[in-house]
Amino acid sequence: MLDFSILTENLDMYLLGFKNTIMSSLIALVASLILGVLIAIMRIAPIKPLNWLGTAYVEFIRNIPLLIITFFFFLGLKLSGLYAGTLALTIYTSSFIAEAIRAGILSVPKGQMEAARSSGLTYGQAMRLVILPQAVKIVIPPLGNQFINLVKNSSILAVVAGLDLMYHGDLISSRTFVVFDVYIFVAAFYLILTIPLSFGVGYLEKRLAKSN
Amino acid sequence: MGGGLIMIVFDRVNKYYGDFHVLKDINLTIKKGEVVVVIGPSGSGKSTLLRCINRLETISEGSLSINGLNVADKKTDINKLRRNIGMVFQHFHLYPHKTVLENIMLAPKKVLGQSVEEAKKIALKYLDKVGIGDKANSFPSQLSGGQQQRVAIARGLAMGPEIMLFDEPTSALDPEMIGEVLDVMKALAHEGMTMVVVTHEMGFAREVADRIVFMDEGRVLEEASPAEFYANPREERARLFLSRILNH
Amino acid sequence: MLKKKKWLKLSLLSLLAVILLAGCGGGNDSDKAEEGGGKDKEKDVLAQVKEKDKIVFGVKNDTRLFGLKNPSTGDVEGFDIDIAKALAAEILGDENKVEFKEVTSKTRMALLNNGDIDAIVATMTITEDRKKEVDFTDVYFDAGQSLLVKKGSDIKGIDSLKGKKVLAVKGSTSSINIREKAPEAQVLEFENYSEAFAALKSGQGDALTTDDSILYGMADEDPSYELVGGTFTEEPYGIAVKKGNTDFVDELNKALKSLKDSGKYDEIHDKWIKH
Repeated sequence: MLDFSILTENLDMYLLGFKNTIMSSLIALVASLILGVLIAIMRIAPIKPLNWLGTAYVEFIRNIPLLIITFFFFLGLKLSGLYAGTLALTIYTSSFIAEAIRAGILSVPKGQMEAARSSGLTYGQAMRLVILPQAVKIVIPPLGNQFINLVKNSSILAVVAGLDLMYHGDLISSRTFVVFDVYIFVAAFYLILTIPLSFGVGYLEKRLAKSN
Repeated sequence: MGGGLIMIVFDRVNKYYGDFHVLKDINLTIKKGEVVVVIGPSGSGKSTLLRCINRLETISEGSLSINGLNVADKKTDINKLRRNIGMVFQHFHLYPHKTVLENIMLAPKKVLGQSVEEAKKIALKYLDKVGIGDKANSFPSQLSGGQQQRVAIARGLAMGPEIMLFDEPTSALDPEMIGEVLDVMKALAHEGMTMVVVTHEMGFAREVADRIVFMDEGRVLEEASPAEFYANPREERARLFLSRILNH
Repeated sequence: MLKKKKWLKLSLLSLLAVILLAGCGGGNDSDKAEEGGGKDKEKDVLAQVKEKDKIVFGVKNDTRLFGLKNPSTGDVEGFDIDIAKALAAEILGDENKVEFKEVTSKTRMALLNNGDIDAIVATMTITEDRKKEVDFTDVYFDAGQSLLVKKGSDIKGIDSLKGKKVLAVKGSTSSINIREKAPEAQVLEFENYSEAFAALKSGQGDALTTDDSILYGMADEDPSYELVGGTFTEEPYGIAVKKGNTDFVDELNKALKSLKDSGKYDEIHDKWIKH
């Protein structure tokens, strides 16, 4: 059976890590979404140099391990653990979000853009008023998945002393010489974040479907 | 029917998709108030011709001008040009996430800067005109094909264009709904709208067209009034086409 | 609001499920070794060692002077390695009857306890806490904790760490000691010495703390870093063996004594430790 004293005696460390993981994940979530939308639009806009830049970004970033990106910011740019990890998390996730959004936008029928442009709307207006709102519905499930991945990937902070949940788990484990129980509790804390996220995404999906 | 003002001019227009020569040496003039119906076998380039007018397709050679404005010129404000040209598509392309009323109001609000009240008034007017004033707050998915297409026409008219383009507007409709859409188009024609219509509906053409343009393999093979064209087509291929269409 | 209740219930249920499942799975690392000599299922380590005719040692691969992998040959080299080989020569008659597995301060206990390795020879300090988890041989090396700083740093020793960032390795006694002895310093812990040193070099900390023996290896590698303040703890290194295997510990102690008496120990010591 699980040794709950591990949890109770180290609760302050678990909670400190939990708090930092939440903060880091939240910041990265918002930032990667904004960045992802920008990159997606760059890839779709009818301006060749922007296309090229956006594609290069996505192909490069999503094919490198998150750990390496993190080390780049930590050792290369010498940002502190928490910042390096959160920034790396943002950049990494943004490439996947850009892809999900681009796929969503492309799956909106071509005729929608044609109808919008034919009435005199500019490309930007057509995107904003006609295409993107339709793309949003399609994009919510894959985006939700990316956010859940983001929360799990935030554990990368542990490797650069980012003071997150996993880092504190490591510390507790190395001090108590207990491995299994310590990390089960860590997992439980992650679940507290990821399970509501899943439900939230599901709820959002249903509500958007209703407006059809 | 057919005033003197020249609106659309195709002058030695050619278009290529890579090596494929899709529009060959098109010379065509359309005057204000004219109703021009373009017919021809599939692959003849008639839709392409139509879509060149509002630059959904670009031309490779020659010149295409609307009210004297060169459509292909990079300096031409294409968005401004398109305000004056309404387009109705074969598959309607209504915005599914907006109500019927919102569909019609969108461009007048965002492009012409109309206030919500103004736009709503005009939208309701055109909605009534096409015969479905009661569906203002429905969503496109709740309408039949014929109703959706009529909304699409209202959407095009709400911008107050001088030219209306129709790309096979009834080809995707069940037979019993074709009539209601054609009726709206006929009314428009009678009111003096300049219309370019790609269609297979011969009855419609015979009734309201000022001119039939027959295309085949990228060329304009024959132009004539409906009476002349249907009675006695000059071109061999036109005759062949007609016989096939009329003998269903 | 009904939906919210549903989520809450489901989340709590899943959480419960995970914890229950974990309970059934059962942790093994927190299990203390069996009472007395109840070795009915498992043969003790010494017997296994004799049977397979080799000793599997857990050693560091990232610690210059004690256990460092040579990139060109692929072999691990260092004081710990040579001691281990010499012990194998004493116990099994041939210094090649050894196998080396890489361990870190974080993983060495777990690997010892689940039988992946027979003994730990990896710069491991003997402490009272650790004696509760494993059995140690006699001391085979005397180290002491110290500080590594960039040459010219204003840190002179353990007393000048107020408001400074000190880097250490997760799971090391040094990380625990430094928090006790310099509570005003901020301590950040990393996976291994390589990463801790890289972090130090990239300015993520003002000092690195661990055994002076290990720090000498780092100063060896990058002479722009130096040790300051002498040692402020005593770190006696011992060889760790799975709890309860007193006969194996005795064998190792016998072998160690033999090495010291014969002068082989001094030979190995002088080869690696120049300070």
